[in-house]
Amino acid sequence: MSSRGTVLEAERLVVGYAGAPVCGEMSVAVGAGEVLGVVGFNGAGKSTAARTLAGRQLPISGEVKVHGLLANPDAVAFRREVSAVFDEDLFFPSLTVREHLLLVARGHSLPDPEEQVEEELSFFGLQERADVVPESLSSGQRRRTLLAAGLMRPASLLILDEPEQRLDPVMREALGRRVRSLADGGATVVLVTHDPQLLLDTATSCLVIDDEVTLATPEVAAAIIAGA
Amino acid sequence: MSKATETGTAGRAGEIVRFTRRSARRYNRSRTSLPELFVDVYVSVLALGCAVALAVSFVLALRGEFAQRSATDGGLIADPVLVLPSQALEVLLTFAALAAVVVLGRRLGPLAVGGPESTWWLSLPVDRRPMVWGPFLRRAVLAGAGAALAYVPVSVLGALDRTVLSHAYAAATFGALVVAVVGIAALLQGRPQSVGLKVAAASLVVAGALVTVLVPSAWSFGAGLVIASALLVLVSSRAGFVPGGELTRAGAVSGHVGSSLYLMDSNELFRAVRAESRTAYRRGARFFALPTRGPFAALLRADVVAFLRLHPTPTTAVLWLVACVAVMLVDGGLPVFVQLGAVVLAGCAAASGFGTVARRAALVPELDGLVPVNPALVRASRAVMPAATMVLWMALLGGVLVVLGAAGPMLIVVSALAGIGMGAGTVRGASRPATDWSAPPVETPFGPVPRAQLAALLRGVDVTVLSLMPVVLTLYLGVVALPVLVVQAVISGVVFLVVAMTNPHG
Repeated sequence: MSSRGTVLEAERLVVGYAGAPVCGEMSVAVGAGEVLGVVGFNGAGKSTAARTLAGRQLPISGEVKVHGLLANPDAVAFRREVSAVFDEDLFFPSLTVREHLLLVARGHSLPDPEEQVEEELSFFGLQERADVVPESLSSGQRRRTLLAAGLMRPASLLILDEPEQRLDPVMREALGRRVRSLADGGATVVLVTHDPQLLLDTATSCLVIDDEVTLATPEVAAAIIAGA
Repeated sequence: MSKATETGTAGRAGEIVRFTRRSARRYNRSRTSLPELFVDVYVSVLALGCAVALAVSFVLALRGEFAQRSATDGGLIADPVLVLPSQALEVLLTFAALAAVVVLGRRLGPLAVGGPESTWWLSLPVDRRPMVWGPFLRRAVLAGAGAALAYVPVSVLGALDRTVLSHAYAAATFGALVVAVVGIAALLQGRPQSVGLKVAAASLVVAGALVTVLVPSAWSFGAGLVIASALLVLVSSRAGFVPGGELTRAGAVSGHVGSSLYLMDSNELFRAVRAESRTAYRRGARFFALPTRGPFAALLRADVVAFLRLHPTPTTAVLWLVACVAVMLVDGGLPVFVQLGAVVLAGCAAASGFGTVARRAALVPELDGLVPVNPALVRASRAVMPAATMVLWMALLGGVLVVLGAAGPMLIVVSALAGIGMGAGTVRGASRPATDWSAPPVETPFGPVPRAQLAALLRGVDVTVLSLMPVVLTLYLGVVALPVLVVQAVISGVVFLVVAMTNPHG
């Protein structure tokens, strides 16, 4: 499956809670520049799989490796390489949108952080809301802020859990272009989604999560989602 | 990941922390006016002053009472078969307090980050030490200072002949030891399975309790300070290596505890503290699988199994029992009202500890409608196990007191009967509605009284204490009168029925 160097590898991975698997065993290897779509019905275990691939949850069995090293979010090198965006609605109540993004830019030592933040604010249509605190934002604007933070920082592996949720169609399309361009730049992307169009626009291969986990082409996976 | 690389990013982490704090301060200042700030400070200082004045006068009055008692004044047990040395109770209390700090410290962190910090800080590729060390140090020092202050009345009441300087040394030693055990709790976060750290914690708690009570001096304070400092230095060097998941867990629990205390919601406090408690998932599986006759039997079986699984060991209840009996066996005897107070306190605490199932079920009222039985039967089913356990606990307490000579054997029956009402009180307390702090106080001849809030806060405790009253009376009289036995049976039965028949949401 991997054409260039393998970035993410999962070997006989079983994910779940308290020892109970939520889906079938999976083995996958994703190379640089590839976008792995992850699809499945509600409750199939997509987000659990994504959290395990991001190292946020321990697998029941099997292992996840990023650049050949075991996934470990407590290691600085892992955090430098992996950016993960989940639907976590947690913000500093007294920091504005701009300050949240500046925090990420400075934490990753981005050159000229203010300018980078302005670019992200512009891309996600948040300029007019840049100086308000999160409680004044709509749910979609908070989602865009999280995505801006996740996509702004450098990462060789990007894990996105249903990023299309709470986004309007125009923003979904822009997000698809952005993901594709990041992959073209060499990033590896794991994209959990329910949006067939986003999948067709970005994915190079797909995992269909169910009692059995299977590999599929984006076209087949998109058809599965559309059928669901 | 090498340690050197992580240390290299410490400066950037410090900058992130300062940036966040600065922005937060700027925002908070923009929302707070000077008059508001003045009122806040004024009210806080006034409330604190009143609380301290009340505490000091209460302690001094109690000290006067203790001092006036002659050695021949008996307690509830006139001639106990076993007598504890006068300082044993103080040692036990100090030991229990230090042990509680270790256990609670481990549950609450003490190295922790809140929800926003866990999302925005922990994902950054920087050393985490600057993010957790400052708040930890502040918490540890505050806990030490608070503990030293809180220990003063214990020392003052525990050793009447001690000098003021001795009391000060005892309090300061205790404060230093609290900082030290908080440090050990922090080290355990990084190495939860470390036997060495657990042995060190146990040794420090035992030795600390003995030294604080028996030989409080400048030396004991100095030694406590050295141990605390050494442990803080050790924590400082390891703070950056505590797993992010553990920091987030601790932040969630301490945040939950903080908001429960702020809202004075004891049910939420229990839920927060016991969130990570051990659960015996498989216990009672065979019993649960047996066929049942009728929906009520099925419900009762589910409640019994849930109770057995969520209360794997009765350790806390046994400790309350031991503490309660110890109070009555101290050489010289504590005043009778203190001993009776200890019985009521231990009874309420033990009963409350058996309310985990009811407290969890109260979060999901829909559960009560799962089985087609009358809601009163659902509440009765939920009260069965707390009541049965409290019957055992009270019978055990009564038995011990009978052996020690507090009253005749019928005390066991009276006590066991009280357990029924106390268990029901636990269920009543668990379904306590949230206190409405916006309700206006009611004017009374004694001034405005927040009646609605008091009623909400005391719900559950009220009937637990009421159920204990005949036992308290029996202990005070030293004989079991037949009318008291009858009254006890009636009170417990009525309390159980009232709890079952009362809809907490109605």
